[in-house]
Amino acid sequence: MKSGILTIVLSTGLFFSALYLAARAGTVHIPGNQQDYQPVQPIAYSHRLHAGELQMPCLYCHFSAEKSRHAGIPPASVCMNCHTLVTATFGAVRAEEELATKEQRKPRTLVSPELQKIYDALGLDANRKPDPARTMKPIAWTRVYKLPDFVYFDHRAHVGAGVICQTCHGPVEAMERMRQVPDLSMGWCVNCHRDATKNGVAGKKVYASIDCSTCHY
Amino acid sequence: MSADYKKYWRSLEEYEAGDALDEQAAEEFADTPLREGAEPGRREFLLAAGFTLAGAALTGCGRAPVEKAIPLLRQPEGILPGRSYYYATVCGGCSASCGLLAKGRDGRPIKLEGNPEHPVSRGGLCAVGQASILGLYDSLRLQQPMARGKSASWREVDEEIAKTLDGIRKEKRTVRVLTQTVASPALNSQIRGFLKGFPDARHVVYDVLSASPILDAHRQTHGARVLPRYLFQKANVIASFDADFLGTWISPVEYTSGYSEARAVEATPPRSAWHVQFESRMSLTGTKADRRIKLAPEQIPAALEHLAVRVARKAGSPVLPAAGSPVPLPDEVLDELANRLWEARGRSLVVCGLPGAEAQVLCNFVNHLLGNYGATLDIAAPSYQKQGDDRELTALVDEINAGKVGALFLHGVNPVADLPGGEELAKSLARIPLLVSLSPRLDETSPLARFVCPECDPLETWGDAEPVAGVTAISQPAIRPLGQARPAIESFARWSGNGASAHELVRSFWQESVYPRQAGQEAFEAFWKKSVEAGFARVRPQPMAVKPFDVQAVKPMSAGRSSTGKLALVLYPTPAMPDGRHAYNPWLHELPDPITKATWDNYASLAPATAGRMALQDGDVVRLLISGNAIELPVLIQPGQHEKVVAVALAYGRTVSARFANTGPKWLEQRPTPGPNGMIGANAAPFLLLKDGSVRYWRDDVKVTATGKRRPLAVTQAYSSLTVPKNLDPGGGPRPIVQETTLEALGTGGAKHESEPVMELWPDDHPFTGHRWAMTIDLNACTGCSACVIACQVENNVPVTGRDEVMRNRQMHWIRIDRYYSGPPSDVEVAHQPMMCQHCEHAPCETVCPVLATVHSSEGLNQQIYNRCVGTRYCENNCPYKVRRFNWFEYSRDDRLANLTLNPDVTVRSRGVMEKCSFCVQRIQDAKAEAKLQNRALRDGEIQTACQQTCPARAIVFGDVNDPRSKVAQRMNSGRRYRVLEEINTRPSVGYLKIVRAKKTDTDKEGGARG
Repeated sequence: MKSGILTIVLSTGLFFSALYLAARAGTVHIPGNQQDYQPVQPIAYSHRLHAGELQMPCLYCHFSAEKSRHAGIPPASVCMNCHTLVTATFGAVRAEEELATKEQRKPRTLVSPELQKIYDALGLDANRKPDPARTMKPIAWTRVYKLPDFVYFDHRAHVGAGVICQTCHGPVEAMERMRQVPDLSMGWCVNCHRDATKNGVAGKKVYASIDCSTCHY
Repeated sequence: MSADYKKYWRSLEEYEAGDALDEQAAEEFADTPLREGAEPGRREFLLAAGFTLAGAALTGCGRAPVEKAIPLLRQPEGILPGRSYYYATVCGGCSASCGLLAKGRDGRPIKLEGNPEHPVSRGGLCAVGQASILGLYDSLRLQQPMARGKSASWREVDEEIAKTLDGIRKEKRTVRVLTQTVASPALNSQIRGFLKGFPDARHVVYDVLSASPILDAHRQTHGARVLPRYLFQKANVIASFDADFLGTWISPVEYTSGYSEARAVEATPPRSAWHVQFESRMSLTGTKADRRIKLAPEQIPAALEHLAVRVARKAGSPVLPAAGSPVPLPDEVLDELANRLWEARGRSLVVCGLPGAEAQVLCNFVNHLLGNYGATLDIAAPSYQKQGDDRELTALVDEINAGKVGALFLHGVNPVADLPGGEELAKSLARIPLLVSLSPRLDETSPLARFVCPECDPLETWGDAEPVAGVTAISQPAIRPLGQARPAIESFARWSGNGASAHELVRSFWQESVYPRQAGQEAFEAFWKKSVEAGFARVRPQPMAVKPFDVQAVKPMSAGRSSTGKLALVLYPTPAMPDGRHAYNPWLHELPDPITKATWDNYASLAPATAGRMALQDGDVVRLLISGNAIELPVLIQPGQHEKVVAVALAYGRTVSARFANTGPKWLEQRPTPGPNGMIGANAAPFLLLKDGSVRYWRDDVKVTATGKRRPLAVTQAYSSLTVPKNLDPGGGPRPIVQETTLEALGTGGAKHESEPVMELWPDDHPFTGHRWAMTIDLNACTGCSACVIACQVENNVPVTGRDEVMRNRQMHWIRIDRYYSGPPSDVEVAHQPMMCQHCEHAPCETVCPVLATVHSSEGLNQQIYNRCVGTRYCENNCPYKVRRFNWFEYSRDDRLANLTLNPDVTVRSRGVMEKCSFCVQRIQDAKAEAKLQNRALRDGEIQTACQQTCPARAIVFGDVNDPRSKVAQRMNSGRRYRVLEEINTRPSVGYLKIVRAKKTDTDKEGGARG
């Protein structure tokens, strides 16, 4: 009889556990799955603004994506191509200009706190000129898309074949902060490779190998 | 299987056992704690299973750790993360100064490759050169200068040295700079400039592996102290008297490349240089010889003498050297050699590695009579690879011991460990008022120095080299100095009052001294840039005051060379560890010696008959004693060695090797890697003899006594047997693993290899329509030098396992070189066979993997997927080629500096995972992506595996066999091509080209060469 009671107790426990787990099923990932990872970055850089609103091509900043394995995070010097002149948001600059006209003075240079971080990293002075007295300090971004060490993904092969960035990275142009869209599982990779071999990429016939050593070596 | 297949054997046990096989060789796993038999009970199993589950559950918790991505603030042009770049530079491994391409990645060099454009080394690189990158990332390298044993700053050290030098100048005391051959003309000139400021100053050069007698002999015969450039590629008959030119002699990479060209049997027109080797021990060069004549060390000069007499007679020379010693050989042998040499006048080459200028003079005489000067020996544009002068060294040692030296600067030398009488010398050195060592590490000599001014690694600094006259090379840095070390050239400049950087010094030297020698019209800037990019420049050789051959120099050799009848000690360098400066390098210690296959030790080699007479076996420790000096070493029985010889490798027993005390995985049964003396091997340098202005590498009378102790050697030769265990194939004979043909057969087309038809079990449903990767290995070209082993180790992140693990057959090399003997142990023929994963079409490993961690790719690769592997080791057990390697442990990756050599394109494997040769799939993928990006097809030769790239003999060819124009496809169609174990129908992707033996001559003994 004793074992009968035990079975009932255990079954009840199991039932509630199952209920609890079922409720959280949407948010629980299997180990290693980082889908929807959206960490806070040291600089609140907005892809929505740059890639979406301003329609800058992805490869302008991530220039090594077509030449190297890694797409790379652009060096701060690339930011400075624009941000030597653009130091604050359009709205803030416009407001300052209007105020200056009203007060009949020269508009002050506004520097947004986020951009200031880049200037600090590069060791620039108030006029955004290199200041040898300041040390350069690299920016430590938090990596969002990360594959295990035993997987080798090659950006140049994909960009070269005409795969658009959004295929894997999702609607980056709509993201204020970067988020991992796919689950980066092997099944996800392989399905796309199968599909590409069958249907081609951007109307072009391609051969996307599904040999293990395409990615694992 | 053909019945007349020659019997090969790999160890004496195997030879003596006949067809029976010793148990160890048949066993895949030599030593395993997990051997079945003592069955674990149900409880133990449940316990283990429970822990495993709990462990798995725990590791599954939580998210992956946060990883930072830190981009450069300003990215230099042309440097992209994840993309390799190459800088042409010069190898600092030895004074041969081969051309290098240093492969860099994300700011650090990760691999060295031969520079294919380089006119001297021609794209090859030896094992030492490949391994030398580890020197850059050696965490025990001195980071800053030292004064009186304590760390100091450069300013303090420089000031003190300058002050002391001032005093020495005033007191008119002697200043000496002792270096090895300085390959860099800029540094040489800097040292000259430094010494100019002193009344009595001299730059003394000595080489651990001395070529001084050759230079001395040329001073006598040609009036100039030159080292000829030996052009093996032009020779059709090669006679070598104890010169191991393929292994360690002067410039092995250059000579191997030339030798391989001289024996390219399939070239147009076909070449097959005939090579005879006189030697007393078994050298790498001896293993390739068509005729190997073993003589006692004192008989080799006599053989040369008698040869000289015969050649002189043929040439009708007025001078006949009197041969004082009795002929140590049957007359026919020397007659035949003289005939062959004479017939190949101007296309023959006699080289001599004997000590003493007398023998070298005779060698010059023979080459002169044969008209080889200007043809196969170039003394108009000579080699500068060895400049050492043993006579000056002797004088300096006397000066030091007499306390006459005021200041001594040491660069690239370790005299206490490398010279005889090291202990006495150490005492004298300590008395020198100003002893400055530029050694990058604390070795035997540098702690004695008042100041240690560590020099940079060659990859950290600017430099140059002129290996042969007219080929000047620039050594450019591949990384900034990792510590505070300073290039030697800067140090000497600083002490001469010049504060310029190495870059400025080398550049200004080139502007003044090299640029005027170039033939082009371009400005210096353009010339410099071009030379830096190419890594070398061809310029006019410095004019040499070479006189015509002076026959007066030929004198009879001094008599009294009769054998004492006792054992002679032969000291030799090994290709893996030619010089004690590399004793810090674990890769080189774990590299099996090309002939003995021993790792992590030196040993006393004895001929089988000698060992039998003395009742010694492999691993018995003996005591070698010559006039008060004694060392203890384990015995290794070496077939083919002369009976009166005990051979010991130099360059071992160095204090820097004490660092290996912690090498190898930590576990209960671990045995330490160093020997009882706390070091790797024992130093045999005290046995060297500095006599008559020449270092002698053999001693007459050595007393060998058994000590009763044992130290089994970590020898890999008996591992990985490809023979069939007797219980599986009772009637089976030897398998045709190594195959040979003869020149004669090759000429008549009879060499065509015919495969026996095999029954097909598998459906032929894998068409391989795209690429199909394959490899061919020319066994005739392979010298066994083992450069490929280290190249593969660097490229593929292969760990060092330590001596104990090697003894348990757990070394991790992806490519090994099997060495086979044939014939009786007293006089063996040798075959080298590189063996790596054969990428079988019907791979036995693939069918047994329960988790499909090893499967075939559509391009013919046998893929090993580490993340899928669960470590059952079934595949290893089922591999007939024994090429799979299992990670028994998490091999040490604690040294963060050494980890910088890791190739980021190859996964670092963890414990419990199988691994093996991947055909360098990372290089295939990289080349494919690059070709795709440029919208073109892959070119033949674009993908080179690491082993292929480094091979000085060009024995390995890799490519797409589906492309009929590819080199590999053509070599696959060669008549010499066969596949190993093709009778078991594994269909390997690796084809071997048979060894071509010269036709047996009448004078050849009909030994047991055919089994």
